[in-house]
Amino acid sequence: MSPTVRRALSVIVLLALMAGFGFGVNRLIASRKHKIPTEASVFIPTAERPKIVLPGTLYLAQNGDIYRLSDGFFTDLHLSTTTGLWMQPAYIPNSQDIVAVLRAAEYSNLYLLNSQGTIIRRLSNNAYPKNGKVYLNHWMFYPHMGADGNTIYFSYDQPKDSATYAVDFSVWTGTLNGTLAGKELSVSNPFTGGDVDATPMANGSVIYSKYAIGSGNAYSQIAIQVKPLGNPTILTTPTQDCGQPSPSPDGTKVAMICIGGTGLQSTRLEVATLTKGKLGTPVTLVNNCLCADPVWSPDGTGLVYYNTADITGHFELWWIKGAESAAPSPPLQVTTNLDFDATSPPSWSPLSSVPVMSR
Amino acid sequence: MLGFLIAFGFVLSGAVGALAYFMPAIVTAIQDTGHTIDRDIPTPKATAAASSAPLPSASASATAPPAPGQPFTVLLLGSDNDAKFGGTVLTQSMILARVNPTTKQVVMESIPRDLWVPLSSGGNAKIDAAYLHGGPSGAVATVEEDFHIHIDHYAWIGLLGLVNLINQVGGIDVVATNPVMDDFYPADLSGKDPYGYERVAVLPGPQHMSGVQALMYVRSRHGDLRSDFGRSQRQQQVLLALRAKAKLLGIADLPDIATAMANDFSTDMSIPEIASLLPIASSVQLQNVKQVILSSPYTSNFEVDNELALQPNWNLILPETHLYFPAV
Repeated sequence: MSPTVRRALSVIVLLALMAGFGFGVNRLIASRKHKIPTEASVFIPTAERPKIVLPGTLYLAQNGDIYRLSDGFFTDLHLSTTTGLWMQPAYIPNSQDIVAVLRAAEYSNLYLLNSQGTIIRRLSNNAYPKNGKVYLNHWMFYPHMGADGNTIYFSYDQPKDSATYAVDFSVWTGTLNGTLAGKELSVSNPFTGGDVDATPMANGSVIYSKYAIGSGNAYSQIAIQVKPLGNPTILTTPTQDCGQPSPSPDGTKVAMICIGGTGLQSTRLEVATLTKGKLGTPVTLVNNCLCADPVWSPDGTGLVYYNTADITGHFELWWIKGAESAAPSPPLQVTTNLDFDATSPPSWSPLSSVPVMSR
Repeated sequence: MLGFLIAFGFVLSGAVGALAYFMPAIVTAIQDTGHTIDRDIPTPKATAAASSAPLPSASASATAPPAPGQPFTVLLLGSDNDAKFGGTVLTQSMILARVNPTTKQVVMESIPRDLWVPLSSGGNAKIDAAYLHGGPSGAVATVEEDFHIHIDHYAWIGLLGLVNLINQVGGIDVVATNPVMDDFYPADLSGKDPYGYERVAVLPGPQHMSGVQALMYVRSRHGDLRSDFGRSQRQQQVLLALRAKAKLLGIADLPDIATAMANDFSTDMSIPEIASLLPIASSVQLQNVKQVILSSPYTSNFEVDNELALQPNWNLILPETHLYFPAV
């Protein structure tokens, strides 16, 4: 090899090394970027094992799909998201079926599904088929089933007056085997968003979150509706700003989420006794958190809820054993690396075995 | 000599690699930051004010920029800047922010967009028109003159800029105060008719929001009894949620953020000044954030030129404002 060729090769190698060094510097800086999970991030429940095994079956929603957590394993119901996102599953007592919401861009419908995720039938038809009048569509959210497995309670944006922009949720009830929106139960405060999170209680009344606006602030109060369209019994004050009530199975306690702190950016998980239509002094189980959607275990000895595990802000499932007792255990994070839909309360069926049989 | 050349070559290639990485941020820095505020906007010609409230009289004056570590005031501006506005936009959101880097305290005061005020460009109008007639300088001058304060910096963001910024930080976590329902939400970003409407239902309670969801939350107003005041409160909430995400950001994240916000952001702050705000934002505790909303009795509804506006009660607004923003 001649000296000229050798020199040329040396220059080429040096230039390549310099280019590689430049590229390396570029990638080194890029590696200093913070790993922020983006909306496109994938969190797969079926790839995760909960830290503890909870009894019964929990139905949870994440990223438009519904998952079943039973015996320490997640099962993906593999629901199609072609026409919308699935959310807010509600188990049907004494059945393996569930009711869930399919949310499209401008309306939502309730569906009856079996435990494997097969659609049995659509329960509502809230889509207005023609273009140009989007306000003729309707929303239905927060389904909860009565103990008979046929009566259903949910929030529905009827009646509404689009001419005045008034669109608020009211609590409605009906039956799976009859008229779904058979009866309006609550009268919402106009221009507040209305009434949501309705859960039937053992005595036939319904407990829910009632939104109001006063002194320039929007707030929620826990309300109990005994008679349809009658005056509700209000259990909490505007200052407490409590919602998302979950009555214990025996109806003697209520878990709820109360908003507090500067900037309305934190919540508290509280439990209070419920006696003769009055709440006792609440006990704060978790303070200064982004806690949401408490749900009692079927035997009433603890509750699950959502909270963020860290600053990246994805909602994980947490468990408090003995939440009904005077000395509840510290919160235990049940899941990691997941991202549950915090607007979809978990639904906790006492049944753990899941045969394919359905109604 | 040869050794020096080789070393220089490596240094140069490393610099080029770094330059390539930060190119989006550099382009954004040139295009969107470092704008100056023109403080020669004419003083208000207070025409026959429909307002019977006493008019502010002080005129804004330029002062020296705050020294590092000293408190400063930023006017945050947000606009509907989609296609239907053709480049002439109002400000749907105006938030005065006072930041004290030393005590790590922040005050946010939302200025209602319907506030009927003298504009720095002349005449009386809703304050959202100050930006329309005078750009950022007009908005800054109007707020300075009407509120008798000095503004050190401004930052303006458009709809897509906000959406992309929130997506870039992985979404935000917000405690939605109530169900936010709107059957007449502008469909301008959804690819439909920019003059059409779409339905919005933001469910209440804690939740993770994407950029589009957060925009719906802060922009919707039809279904809220408080109308613009409810929206102002929600806008401040989203700012606080973004503040929480600032803890995740560093200088290596700037190119991605710059790319995300390109053409939908402008400020008179330089890149180093913006970068210096990140650690401040991340260290401010929620309990050290004071929020002010100028609802009743600071303002009251009235009709002017056949449209509804808000009449300022300056006797209440100015003392409240000057509790947190030094009077000039």
